[in-house]
Formats: sequence, structure tokens, C-alpha cells
Amino acid sequence: MGERTDLVKRDKTHPETTRRIPKVRPLVDIYECDNEILLHADMPGVKKEDIAIDIDNGKLHLSGVRGIKAEGAANWVEFGDVEYVRSFSVPQTIDLEKINAELKDGVLRLHLPKSEAAKPRQIEIKAA
Amino acid sequence: MMFGNWKDIDRMFGTLDLLNSRMDRVMNEFNKTLGYDPNWTVTDSVPRTNLYDKGEHFEILAEVPGFSKEDLNVKIQGNYLEVSGTRKIDAPEGYCCLRTERGTTTFLRSFTLPSDVDSARVEAMVENGFLTMRLPKTEASKPKQITIS
Repeated sequence: MGERTDLVKRDKTHPETTRRIPKVRPLVDIYECDNEILLHADMPGVKKEDIAIDIDNGKLHLSGVRGIKAEGAANWVEFGDVEYVRSFSVPQTIDLEKINAELKDGVLRLHLPKSEAAKPRQIEIKAA
Repeated sequence: MMFGNWKDIDRMFGTLDLLNSRMDRVMNEFNKTLGYDPNWTVTDSVPRTNLYDKGEHFEILAEVPGFSKEDLNVKIQGNYLEVSGTRKIDAPEGYCCLRTERGTTTFLRSFTLPSDVDSARVEAMVENGFLTMRLPKTEASKPKQITIS
């Protein structure tokens, strides 16, 4: 019997939740230049205070919750409350202190500046 | 005897269950990466909308991330509503692109509303990537209270 319990073991470790919001991956564009990496994420309806950006151990975790105030009889509903979740690996060369983000028209713009040491440098050749 | 050992059969089904749930998980991950989840594709070429009937008026809510009010056009005639928009590509100058998913920049979507609306009193606003429109119903299509005599 010992083997059997091992085989049918399932993940039942999740704590009880009263209401589950679906998790969605926001669409992102990522740009890079010599000075920084820039990330644009579509997060319609998410308010500034409902966005959490965590960086831990080289992982950037982006999360934004949106709630819709729905009143009246719905004729059709194509979207609802969601949590936008996405994780990225951040290279070592990013200066974590200087990361900043702005939110406009439901698009999150995250600036990840590169540290001085990681920026490309032009080496001057000295005449002998 | 073929089915002599029920424990073995039980164990076999247990294994199948496990395999099943593992496969589900794998497929879920797979769908997530490709954005195939039918309920939550954001790759639609038109924005998703919700329509609420609030008695005196309708309210339409649409997801329009990255569109400012200058980028959107709304046309109404009777119970026909057309929303179109063009999003400026916000790729900054001098950057090279590592990933592009937010491709859609132009859309047009039309609706037939459940009843006529008073186009003169329609209000629309854009906030946080949501387009909210308040469409007052015409007198004829408003709900009426009937007093029983």
C-alpha cells in the first residue's frame, strides 16, 4: 500500500480560496538600447495602485489586478476581473536601484536601466 | 487468474489518473505559452467588450490599452454602433526590438445594440485603457412603468 499512495498523490496543498480570479498573461513588447531595457505591457483597466512589480533573485514578477464595476443586466460579457501575471528573467547587468515604471492608457512601461559597467564602451587606441 | 489481484488493477488506474493530470498540466502550460487559452486570448484583432443594460441607458465597456481619446472613433446611427481605432506604434527611437506581441494597431468593430439609442446624448470616455460609453435609450425604447387600474 505504501507504493500506491505514492503513485496517486495529488497536489492538494492550495489553501482554500473563496473566489478565484483568472490569471492572464499580458502581451508585452520588449525593447533594448545601450542604456536600458524597456518593457511595455498591455494591462487595460488596471489601476496604478493595483500593480506589483517584484524583483527577486534575477526574476522580475509582474502582477496587476483589475476589477470591473458591473451594474445592470449584462447583454454580453467578453471580459471580466483578471489578474495579469507574468515573470521574466532579468540579466545581472540591470541596475535594480534605478528601475522605474509608468502607467498610461492601460499600458505599463517599465524602464530597466543597465548598470554603468554593462554599457558598451568605445576603446580609444593610443598611438604608440 | 487474470484479475486475481485487484490491487494491481487499482494501481493501474491510479497511474492512469496521475498521467492524465500530468498531461493536463503540460497542456495548460503549453496553451499558456502560445496564448491559446480560448477564454483569455488577448491576440484578438478587435477589442473585447461588455454591454450592460441599465434601464435608462446602455453601457459599453471595451478594452483599448494604449489608445488615447484621439486614437478612437465612435459612430452611432439608430441601434448601430461602430468603434474604430488606430494605435500609434510606441516603439521608441534608437531601440532594437527583442519581443513584439502587442502587434494590433488598427481595429474596427461594429455592434447592433438591442434597441435604438439617442446619439446626441452619448457620452464616451477613455480611462486606464478602458473605453466606457454611456448610450441613453430613445424615449420609445425606455422601460415603462405600467400602472394596473
